[in-house]
Amino acid sequence: MRAENKRKRTIGQAVMYWLRRDAIGWVLLLPSLFCFTIFMWQPLISGIGMSFFDTKGFETTEFIGLENYVKIISDSGFVNAVQNTVEYALWSIVIGLFVPVIVAIMLNEMIHAKGFFRFAVYFPCMVPSIVTSVMWLIIFDPSAGGLLNHILSLIGLEPSQWLQNSSITIPLIVLTMTWGGFGSTTILYLADLQGVNTELYEAIEIDGGGIFKKLKYITLPYMSGMIKMMFIMQIIGVFQVFQQPLAMTGGGPNNASISLALVAYNYAFSSMEVGKSVATSVVTGLMIFAFTIVYMRLKKSNED
Amino acid sequence: MSLKMNKKKGAVRREGVISDLDYKYPKTKILYWAIFAAMCVAAAICLAPPLWVILSSVKDTKEFYQIPPTLVPHSYDFSKIGKIWSQFAFGKYYMNTIFLTVYSIAWSIFSNGLAGYVLSKIKPRGSSVVFALILASMMIPTSVSMVPVYKNIINFPIGGFNLINTFLPMILMTGCNAFMTIVYKSFFDGIPTALLEAAKIDGCGEIRSFAHIVLPLSKPIIFTAIILAFNHAWADFFWPNLVLKDRSTYTVIVEVFHIKTSIPQDQALMILSFAIIPPAIMFLIFQKNIMQGLTMSGIKG
Repeated sequence: MRAENKRKRTIGQAVMYWLRRDAIGWVLLLPSLFCFTIFMWQPLISGIGMSFFDTKGFETTEFIGLENYVKIISDSGFVNAVQNTVEYALWSIVIGLFVPVIVAIMLNEMIHAKGFFRFAVYFPCMVPSIVTSVMWLIIFDPSAGGLLNHILSLIGLEPSQWLQNSSITIPLIVLTMTWGGFGSTTILYLADLQGVNTELYEAIEIDGGGIFKKLKYITLPYMSGMIKMMFIMQIIGVFQVFQQPLAMTGGGPNNASISLALVAYNYAFSSMEVGKSVATSVVTGLMIFAFTIVYMRLKKSNED
Repeated sequence: MSLKMNKKKGAVRREGVISDLDYKYPKTKILYWAIFAAMCVAAAICLAPPLWVILSSVKDTKEFYQIPPTLVPHSYDFSKIGKIWSQFAFGKYYMNTIFLTVYSIAWSIFSNGLAGYVLSKIKPRGSSVVFALILASMMIPTSVSMVPVYKNIINFPIGGFNLINTFLPMILMTGCNAFMTIVYKSFFDGIPTALLEAAKIDGCGEIRSFAHIVLPLSKPIIFTAIILAFNHAWADFFWPNLVLKDRSTYTVIVEVFHIKTSIPQDQALMILSFAIIPPAIMFLIFQKNIMQGLTMSGIKG
C-alpha cells in the first residue's frame, strides 16, 4: 500500500514537474516557433517541393519532375545571369575584399581623430541600402549635368554614360555596394586587431625589424583567418545580390547587370512563372550552401 | 572600448604597428601623416555623398538647375522642405515606418528574447532539437523560401487572411531572427543558474523570475537589440516592397524606391534626405552601442 502511494505521488510530482518546467517552456517558445514555422521552415520545404511542380498563379498544379530545372537552364537568360553573378562576385573580391583590410590597418595606426574616422567609415552603413542605391544612381546621372560628369568636365575629361555603359555597370554597382558595406567589415577587422599581442611587435623591434616586417609577419598572418571568412561571406552575400541592380538598373542595360536573385524575382512577380522562380532559387541556394559549408569549416578551424 | 580606457589614462596609446620608438624617425613621421591624409580621403568619400545630397536638396531650385551646377550651394531655400514634405504627404510614410518599427522592435524582443531564455535556462525536453533547427536555418539561404513565404502572406495559414497591405508580415518576421535568438541565448547562458534557483526557493515561478530577475539584468542586451531592430526596420525593403501595395501603407524606403528618378532631381534629393536623417541621428546618439552590437554580431554570426 505504502509503496503504491509513494509511486502515485511521484507520478503526480512528475506531472507537476512537467507542467512547471516543460509545459511552460514550450508555451514560452510558441511565439518563436510560430514565426520560424511560417516564415522559415515550412516555406523552405514547400519551396523545394514546388520546384518540381507546374504552377498556376501561386498554386501548384501537377508534378513535372525536373522540367522546371531543364527549362531555366536551357534559357539563355539563366546562363547570362550566372555569368553576371560570378562577375559580381569577382568584382566584389577585387574591389571589396581588401578595402576594409587596408582601412582597418590604417585606422588602427591613428592616434589623431581616430573616433572621427571610425564614425566616418561606418556612416555609410547607416544609410539604408535602397537610399544608397538611389543616391548613387543620381550621382551617376549620365547627362552633362550629372554630378560625376560635372566633376569630370571640371578636370577636362569627357562625360561618361556610367551605368548605361554595359561594360562597367557591374563594377559600378559593386563600387556602390562596397561604399555602403565596407564600414561594418572595417570595424570588425578593427575589433579583431585589438587582439594582436603587442609584445610580438616589440620582439620584432628588438630583432631590428621595421614597420613593414611587423605588418608582414604579425598583423597580416593574424588577420588572415578573418580575411578568409570574410572572403566566403562576401561571396555568399554577393550571390544573393538583388536590391542594388533592381533599384539602380532594373537588371539593364540589356540584362547586363541582371543577377540570379533578380531572375527568380522576375519569374515570380513579373511573368508569374512561379515554378521556374523556385527552381532558380533552389539552384542559387545550392551554390550558396556549398560556400556556407566552406565558411563553417573555416570558422571552426579559426576557433580551434 | 579601448578608446575609453585610454581617455581615462589621459593619453592615447598607439595600438598599431607604428610604435613610439618608430615614430621618432622622420621617415616614419612622414608615413604616419601620409596614412592620416589617406584616412581623411577615405572619410571624405564616406561622408561627402550623403552630405552632398542633404546640402543640394535645400539649394534654391533655380541654382539647382543652373549650368554649370554648383557643388556647394550658394543659396538656400528651406521653404522647399515643408513644400515637398506636404506635396508627397511624407508625414504618412514616416508614421507608417514608425508604426512598423515600434511593433517590430516589441515583437522581436518578445519572441526572440523568450526563445533565447527558454533555450538557455528552462530547457524543456526536446528543445535542443529546436535550437539545432534554429542554428541550421542560419546556414540555409532564404531565397528558396521567397515564393512560399509570399504564399503564406496572401493566404495566412491560420484563418486564411490576406495580409497584403498590412504590416503584420514584417512584424511577425522579426520574431524568427535566428541570429538574435542565439545572441540572447548566449547572454542568458552567462546569468548564473544559482540566482534563478534561489528565486525558485523563495517561491518565484518561471515567469516571475524572468520578469523580476532576468529582465533587469538584460537591459544592456535589450538596448542593443532595440537599436539593431530599429536599423533593420527602418531600412527594410524586400518584404515591405512586396507586401505594401497601396500607397497609403508605404514606408519611407518603399516610397524612395517608387519615386527614384521619376520626379525632378531636387525633389528626389530632398526625399533621400528625409530617409537618411533619422538613422543618421540615431547613429550620432548611439554610435557606441551600434558598433558594439556590430562587433557582437560579427563574432557570433
